[in-house]
Amino acid sequence: MSHFALTIIGRDRPGIVSQVTEILYRLGCNIADSSCSILGGQFAMILIISHPEYTDRESFGGAFAPLEENNLSVFLRTLRPGGEKHPHLEGELCMVSVYGSDKPGIVYRVTKELGERKVNITDLNTKLIGSEERPVYVMMLEAVLPPELNIAELEQTLKSLKNELQVDITVRAIESVEL
Amino acid sequence: MAAREIRIYPDPVLKTICSPVTIPDDSLDALVQDLLDTMYQSGHSVGVAAPQIGDTRRVVVVDVSASKLGRDENHGSLVMINPEILDREGKKTMREGCMSVPDYTGNVTRAEMVVVQFLDRQGREQVIRASGFEAVAIQHEMDHLDGNLFLDRVSNLKTDVFRRKKR
Repeated sequence: MSHFALTIIGRDRPGIVSQVTEILYRLGCNIADSSCSILGGQFAMILIISHPEYTDRESFGGAFAPLEENNLSVFLRTLRPGGEKHPHLEGELCMVSVYGSDKPGIVYRVTKELGERKVNITDLNTKLIGSEERPVYVMMLEAVLPPELNIAELEQTLKSLKNELQVDITVRAIESVEL
Repeated sequence: MAAREIRIYPDPVLKTICSPVTIPDDSLDALVQDLLDTMYQSGHSVGVAAPQIGDTRRVVVVDVSASKLGRDENHGSLVMINPEILDREGKKTMREGCMSVPDYTGNVTRAEMVVVQFLDRQGREQVIRASGFEAVAIQHEMDHLDGNLFLDRVSNLKTDVFRRKKR
C-alpha cells in the first residue's frame, strides 16, 4: 500500500479537521500517524495517509480543491516504500529547554550542536512569549541521544552556548516507564 | 505455574471491571504465582494486573525494587488482593507505557503518595504507604482492575507547555 505525507495549513477556524478528514474518508484513505496544532493564527496539519490503490499524487485528482477554495494550502508528498515506518531509536530520551531574551540564531545554534553530535530531535516546539518590548524566546525539544553520549555530557556541551547566547538551557532525562 | 501471555488491547478483558476475591483458594494462589512469574520473566516489568493475563479477579503484583527509579524506595515484591486506595497525596507525572498497549506512551499525572489497603498472598490485611515510582506503578496496575488503561488518564499532549490561557 502506498503512503503519502499530507500537509495542510490555513487560518484557524472550527471545522478544518472535519472538512479534511471527510475528503480522506470518502476517498478511502487511511490516516496513520498525524499531528495537528495551532501555530500563530494558523492551523497546521501533518498526516501520514495510505490508500489501497493510489500510487501517486495524480491518483487524488482534484480531491483537495475544495480545501484550496477555503483558503487552505495543501501539499502532498508520495513516500517511498518503508517511508511510513517509525525507525527504532536506541539511546537515552531527553528533554531540552532553551529560553531567554529573543535574538537571532537560538534555534540554529542549539540544533547545530545537537546535529553534529548525532542527537536525533523527535519533537520541537518554539514560541515567542513575553511583551513586545521584552520578547522572550522559548524552545522545547525532545531528542534521542546516540548510545555513546549521555545527558551530563550533552549538558556540558551546551554550557558554552548558554554563555554565548545568554540563554538558559537545561537538559533532563525523560523517564519513560513500561508498567 | 508459569509466565502467561500478556493480553493486548483490544482484548475485551482489559476493559472489564474485575470482581473482588471472596474466598481465597488454591486457584487464587495459582493466579498470584502466574502474575509473579509473568512479571519477573518479562525481565523489565514492574507490575502486572490479573486482567493482563486474562483473569478478572482483583489481584495485582508490583515490584519496583530492581528498577532504577524504584530501587531506593519500595516494599519489594508486593502481592495485592482486593486493593483499595485509602489516601493519596501530591502529584507526579511520568511518561507511561503499558505491555498491553504496545508502541505508545503518554504523560500521566498520578498521586505521588498513596496509602493502600489489601490482602497479601497469605490473606492477611495489610496497609502500606507507597511513594514515588512504586506509588505510580500501584496506581497503574490498580487501574487495570477497573478497566482503565493509561490511555484513559493521559493528562496532556507532550507539548502541553505552550498551552495556556490567553492573557
